[in-house]
Amino acid sequence: MEFLELLNYYVIPGIVLGSIYALGAVGITLIFAILRYAHLAHGDLATLGAFIALAAVTSFGISPLAALPVAILATAAVAVGIDKVFYEHLRERPKIVTVMASLGIALMIRAVIQVVWGVDTQTYSRGIVRPEDYFGLRIRDREIYTIVAMILLVGFLQLFLTQSKWGKAMRAMSDNPSLALLSGIDNKKVVILTWVIAGGLCAASGFFLGLNTELKPMMGWHMLLPMFAGAILGGVGRVEGAVLGGLIVGIAEELSVLVIPSEYKAAMAFAILLFMLIVRPTGLLKGKVL
Amino acid sequence: MSALLNMEKVTGGYGDADILFDVSLHVDPDEIVVIVGPNGAGKSTAMKSVFGMLKIRGGNLLFDGDDITKWTPNRIVQRGICYVPQVDNIFREMSIHENLEMGGFLKKGDLSAAYDRIYELFPDLKERRKTAAGSLSGGQRQMVAMGRALMLDPKLLLLDEPTAGLSPKYMEQIFQICRDVRDTGVAILLVEQHAKQALAFADRGYVLAAGKNRHEGTGADLLADREVAEMFLGG
Repeated sequence: MEFLELLNYYVIPGIVLGSIYALGAVGITLIFAILRYAHLAHGDLATLGAFIALAAVTSFGISPLAALPVAILATAAVAVGIDKVFYEHLRERPKIVTVMASLGIALMIRAVIQVVWGVDTQTYSRGIVRPEDYFGLRIRDREIYTIVAMILLVGFLQLFLTQSKWGKAMRAMSDNPSLALLSGIDNKKVVILTWVIAGGLCAASGFFLGLNTELKPMMGWHMLLPMFAGAILGGVGRVEGAVLGGLIVGIAEELSVLVIPSEYKAAMAFAILLFMLIVRPTGLLKGKVL
Repeated sequence: MSALLNMEKVTGGYGDADILFDVSLHVDPDEIVVIVGPNGAGKSTAMKSVFGMLKIRGGNLLFDGDDITKWTPNRIVQRGICYVPQVDNIFREMSIHENLEMGGFLKKGDLSAAYDRIYELFPDLKERRKTAAGSLSGGQRQMVAMGRALMLDPKLLLLDEPTAGLSPKYMEQIFQICRDVRDTGVAILLVEQHAKQALAFADRGYVLAAGKNRHEGTGADLLADREVAEMFLGG
């Protein structure tokens, strides 16, 4: 096969898919680092974000990209609300209780989506988008938006975490919770902040999946495993690791079609997850040991 | 009474069982006071009681004119007592400077005076301020831990076995740092496993055994006491 063909049909779609996974994996890794549990409702929260953007598109008649900030803000608010109503009461219990609760939340979110928006496949806009040609590379505008948005959002997050007082407080809480409390850092505010960020990124993840494919009530649930694989591959607690991990999982899924039947594409994430947990549980960038 | 901290006949423990029984001690301003004793004597517990981490069922804690017996750790920090735990006392993945910044989290306004004071006290840290604290040597980590605790300008610093696991060379270094800190006007109450070395360096000491006061006096007096010597040499 020609090199350009490899790039156009496998690598570029892989980077786009990987960017979508990365946005979710960053939230998963933050929740893991600060709240110390696996958040299984992350995929369905992404679906919710995608459908909130659809609601904004259909009811206000705005363009999908203009609907993205609406979806980010609304989903962040929903994430904080879910934490207040459900997870907060389980804080002192064993973490597995919250993990199971988050599975229940996942089902609840999906049920709400099916009741409100129905079970049919929907799209932000109709019609076929032809890719533009850049020196032989064929890229659609929406693919560029996805990659650029991921880089911008994660870039802002990194700036926030390394430069601002509350961003550093989040890192301190991840690094050494008891010492953070001893230093007078307000755990409740850090938790709210974590949900705002994770929820917002999650909405962006779902939105871009919807923009590049279609909106389905199960779309986020199917992303859950690749997002976790990305977070663990990069090293739990590492934002840059989650981006790297998400990208690798996305590209690996697309490339896997070259050697295995495409129905088994989703198994790639599972294989990567299993391999990392056995061989190097701290991930590529030396995160926390699970 | 001019003592900075006055612990009067404190009885209490973490849960329902008492660990301390009528323990009394005091710390004057500009003084290093050490608590020693055999394992399980309640040394660390006595210190944690000062920091509001205990259920106190009897006695009083007076600090700088306030009765802090029932205060929470958060309120005590802001009143001027800072605590350095024995283990996990730094943010490993954060830089030295960020560790200090987190120490000063509760402080309103400009922190630059506080940074200057700590970097003056620990010049080694200033050179490496961008370095991740987890990559430092044991002695330097202890400096970061103490620096973090000193960011809020405490009047009293509580140190839980600061020399645990350190080589004799570092132990001497830590003791020297304690003297330097004291000389800036901060009183220190510390718990030590290395009783002989600690008594030799501290201004005064308390020997606890089975959760009760056993001996007290200047470091030199305690070292000269036969019963104390037997406790640590013969025991």
